[in-house]
Amino acid sequence: MSLLANRFEPNVLTHSLDWLVNWARKSSPWPMTFGLACCAIEMMATGASRFDLDRLGAGVFRPSPRQSDVMIVAGTVTEKMAPRIKTLYEQMPDPKWVIAMGACAISGGPFYYDGYHVVKGVDLVIPVDVYVPGCPPTPEALIYGVLTLQAQIMKTTLAKRPEG
Amino acid sequence: MRAYLTTLVWGLKSICVSLWVTLRYLFTPAITVQYPEEKRVQPLRTLNRHVLTVDTLTGTLKCTACNLCAVVCPTRCIELTGHGKGKERRADTFFIDHNLCMYCNLCVEVCPFDAITMWTRIDELSAYTRSGLVYDQPTMTATTFYPSPMTPERPAGVPERVGGARS
Repeated sequence: MSLLANRFEPNVLTHSLDWLVNWARKSSPWPMTFGLACCAIEMMATGASRFDLDRLGAGVFRPSPRQSDVMIVAGTVTEKMAPRIKTLYEQMPDPKWVIAMGACAISGGPFYYDGYHVVKGVDLVIPVDVYVPGCPPTPEALIYGVLTLQAQIMKTTLAKRPEG
Repeated sequence: MRAYLTTLVWGLKSICVSLWVTLRYLFTPAITVQYPEEKRVQPLRTLNRHVLTVDTLTGTLKCTACNLCAVVCPTRCIELTGHGKGKERRADTFFIDHNLCMYCNLCVEVCPFDAITMWTRIDELSAYTRSGLVYDQPTMTATTFYPSPMTPERPAGVPERVGGARS
């Protein structure tokens, strides 16, 4: 998409193309199988038949970062895990998004003041698009986070590319 | 030859058994909750976002800014200031940082006036920024009746909607 990005202002052609591309992107945000702590249990429950994340197209948990679009950081990000998360994020192909799930991934949570081993928020390591609070969040809360991410994907345009 | 045929029969039988299970589940109703359109009925004591409850007689917040919830909070996510003395004391600002909150209900259990509750069913809290998850006093002030540990059911004389007056 670097052929189009930042070369001209948004016009009627890019708006029509944006709708199609964004609709395709939001309809299949494949997440990465990436559970770090107890939030992963709720993420598995969200993918299972009771809540069925596949209704939103997001149920195909990929075992490889090269096939995934969304990284759901579910759980405590320790200092030892942080470089691995950055590597995995950089291995994902470019239209990629990050959902920080649970208090630990958002800000360190219960380890924010007293923990010596926890990154105080995964957004210090990789850019985060949607924050889903909870300890852990219910499957409904995670589905609402995916819906929030889909609303954000529909707002993006091919003509403008965010810096960084 | 005989062993081969026995294996064949056993294989066919096992395929029939497993397909019978599949066939039975084909006609049972689906258990999937169609979430954004249809909400699961959650138990009463499900812990969700905090709400500061309102005194139905005076229409003001029950909170007396005693700071007990901020002291007991394990993640130190509550921050509040107040003015006045004794029972006249009221909160000026009341912030709960849901980036940190671990939903342990300790602030509700320690509150001597049932001024805060977590039995609210408000669970759609996703935000694009971390500052979007810090809730202040006007956002958390109750506009309807919310159950608290002492009053899990709505009493007879209490209206369904109470005035969301700012104290």
